[in-house]
Amino acid sequence: MSFTSWLYPFLLGSTTLLYWLLPQRGRVLLLLGVSYVFYATWDPRFLALLIASTVVDFLGGLAIAGERRPWYEVIILPWIPALWLTLHQASFVWANSGKPTGVTSFATAIIFAILYPFFYNQIFQIAEKSRPRVFLIFGIILQLTLLGYFKYFNFFCESLSSGLQLFGTSLSWTMLRIILPVGISFYTFQSMAYAIDVYRGKITPCRNFTLFAAFVSFFPQLVAGPIERGAHLLPQIENTPSFKIDYLRRGMRYVLVGYFLKIYVADNCAILADYVFHVTKGATTAPWALLGVVAFTFQIYGDFAGYTSIARGSAAFLGIDLIQNFRFPYISRGPSDFWNRWHISLSTWFRDYVYIPLGGNRGTRAEVLRNLIMTMFLAGLWHGAGWMFVLWGLYHGLLLVVYRVTPPLRNLEDSTASLWWRRPVSALLMFILVVFGWAIFRCGEETPAAFISWLYSFGNFSGLSASKPFVWLLIHVVPLLLLQSLTTSECDEARIEYLPQWARCIIYIILFLLVASSAVTDQEFIYFQF
Amino acid sequence: MLRSISSFLICVALLLATEVSVRYFLADNVSGRFQYGYSPTAGVVYESDGTVKLVRAGGRTYRPQSFKLKRDPGTIRIFTVGDSVPRGPSLKGAYPYILGQILNEKGIKTESFNLGTAGYGVRRCHVVLKQALTLHPSLIILHVNDSNEYEDEREWNRSQEFKSWAPKNWLMKSFIIRRLYEIKTEQIFWPLLPDVVRNQKDLNDFDAKLAALYNADKEKQWDALVRQETEKSVETVVAAHIPLILISRVTARILPQDGTPHLEKSWLNDFCESLVRPGVYHIPMYEVFKDQPVLPLFADSAHMHEPGHKILAEAIAARIEPLAREIIALQEKTP
Repeated sequence: MSFTSWLYPFLLGSTTLLYWLLPQRGRVLLLLGVSYVFYATWDPRFLALLIASTVVDFLGGLAIAGERRPWYEVIILPWIPALWLTLHQASFVWANSGKPTGVTSFATAIIFAILYPFFYNQIFQIAEKSRPRVFLIFGIILQLTLLGYFKYFNFFCESLSSGLQLFGTSLSWTMLRIILPVGISFYTFQSMAYAIDVYRGKITPCRNFTLFAAFVSFFPQLVAGPIERGAHLLPQIENTPSFKIDYLRRGMRYVLVGYFLKIYVADNCAILADYVFHVTKGATTAPWALLGVVAFTFQIYGDFAGYTSIARGSAAFLGIDLIQNFRFPYISRGPSDFWNRWHISLSTWFRDYVYIPLGGNRGTRAEVLRNLIMTMFLAGLWHGAGWMFVLWGLYHGLLLVVYRVTPPLRNLEDSTASLWWRRPVSALLMFILVVFGWAIFRCGEETPAAFISWLYSFGNFSGLSASKPFVWLLIHVVPLLLLQSLTTSECDEARIEYLPQWARCIIYIILFLLVASSAVTDQEFIYFQF
Repeated sequence: MLRSISSFLICVALLLATEVSVRYFLADNVSGRFQYGYSPTAGVVYESDGTVKLVRAGGRTYRPQSFKLKRDPGTIRIFTVGDSVPRGPSLKGAYPYILGQILNEKGIKTESFNLGTAGYGVRRCHVVLKQALTLHPSLIILHVNDSNEYEDEREWNRSQEFKSWAPKNWLMKSFIIRRLYEIKTEQIFWPLLPDVVRNQKDLNDFDAKLAALYNADKEKQWDALVRQETEKSVETVVAAHIPLILISRVTARILPQDGTPHLEKSWLNDFCESLVRPGVYHIPMYEVFKDQPVLPLFADSAHMHEPGHKILAEAIAARIEPLAREIIALQEKTP
């Protein structure tokens, strides 16, 4: 179920009402139930994956901390995905009077149910000192296998085949029809972060399976983040304070701003961006090429920041605070600053679990630069199974390296500099660099040739006039910029409580009417595909 | 406790107050607003004192006119139904008004009303025509065109959009929100984005229909529709025993060879001629204008300047003068 579905407000409203009427234990169960229903509305089969991922890190987290669960728990929990698939298949056969279809997924679930307890017991046989590390690696391998199969299998096969063709060898195989489960990159990363944090001793492992499952599947942030940490979210789900009207106030504000960003800004900018990159495949004129990429720049911000804002608002209704994922990234002074403002939960994830373990800022300059490039390579790959996404990641890695090794650029990014002109100049330069990066990124959804065509378009000045569509773009971007200018000090479009009441009323009414005037286009969130 | 969400409550109260005010104080204006010309009343408002007002035919307005529903004895009442061509550059500069003036000058007491509405094709004209028959007409003029079928279809789809009470349509039940959505569609979306951008994918049902415009068979279907609906309109008027004048359109074009303007006969010419029978008359615009200079009379390929309207009004007046006298004589005999 998407946040833009008309069902979602009903789901959120009824969940909020029930949540505050129930006692604490009931709330956790309610969250888990609603989250699973929310996820199953996309494809019920993939709920089995979510449960499997949860089981792996629940038992793994406790094992890392040295706690061996009772034998029946270790045997029963891995059977839940298979049980769910059985129920799903039975209902499918009953409803359609046909044969069961998901034999492969069912067989995989059975194998998981049999092998997981076996390996679990085997790892407990090894020396106590190295056991946590082995459990951690085992858990990470399982999560990455899940992610790798569903997201990257076909990509690697295609790349291998193309690579071999360069050497005159050809491989002929049939590509598997693999559907990417929505949100898999988000919940596997959240789950892995939990296991690593337990291993590092940053958090104590969760001993309640229901609570842990509610943490992994918490519906507001399940399919597109923000990627939460156990230390932040688990205690909030476990111990909800008593109801305060302030939760509703915050929730409504975030949800309203989120819908404004998504429906008004992103979906309307998407019309231009899709025309340039999808319809013409980048082969257009210079004004349109520029218009398309700028439109995409605001589309992707509105789309993703909008999702996050609705997620934060939905969680706020339940008294839960999700981390801020965006802080006005388009006014960044440089690439480091950009990644401190864009998709913060992912960039900090890569910082904590990839960059620092690789060596981080320690070691020689060459090693630091290598760490940066490798981290950004993986961040690019995380965004999508395609070489253009990898290229986009490497492009940002290169920007980080160039800014780091070039003193004038490093000085430009330096926030302590007192020269007044540095701020706008550095922000403008970074904005241009980011916009160029988005052209690479957007072509990742099409073909690499689209990017070449897009570049060539800058040499073509005759064709369809772009002046009126430019006005369309302005109409949908200027309100966002005005809202940001009002909330610059807070770096959060939803934080307007410092304004007088009359001003807030005007802003709320304008936002609501802008959303309502665009409420018909039905575009899905971009980040669902990651 | 409610103080902390007072801003939201004030907003909700303001929006509700605006909605209620609009529906209460501007009831006439709001009526049929989102039926885009398919409202059964066709934007005709009957006042309690017996006055009839022509207000709004869906999204578009009539030329503002009002009159008593009861026709004065010895007066003929003419309604001209059609699109932007009979609607004209202004109420007094369009042929229905000029026709009334000419007939009055000739001593025939005439009330001539302009029911032309921009963009109306045969389907919506039929709705207006049916309503006109309830307003005690002596004569109906139907200006037949074949250039607005796309708009008729689009507006029909718009009138159906958001009609159900499914929750996803709840917001659009509000007048101010729907109006805002409409303004954005008409004033921003259509004018600012080229067709190729708008039609890139089916943004909604309406845009799917827009894309259907590029279907080659569509034009043939629409021509068949013009025949079918015009025949239906003729039958309706004949059944009401009201004389009907059909005016068939003409197209002004610039010749590519030498750049001179000329008039082009439409297929509607022959079609309207085929509908002529007792009580149904046909005045082809081509015949009226064929010996006239094109440029001073036509504003574009279809629309005329005031002198063009005057020539057409004179032609109609010459044709219907005996008929009008006959009608008045008949009215005097039958109370």
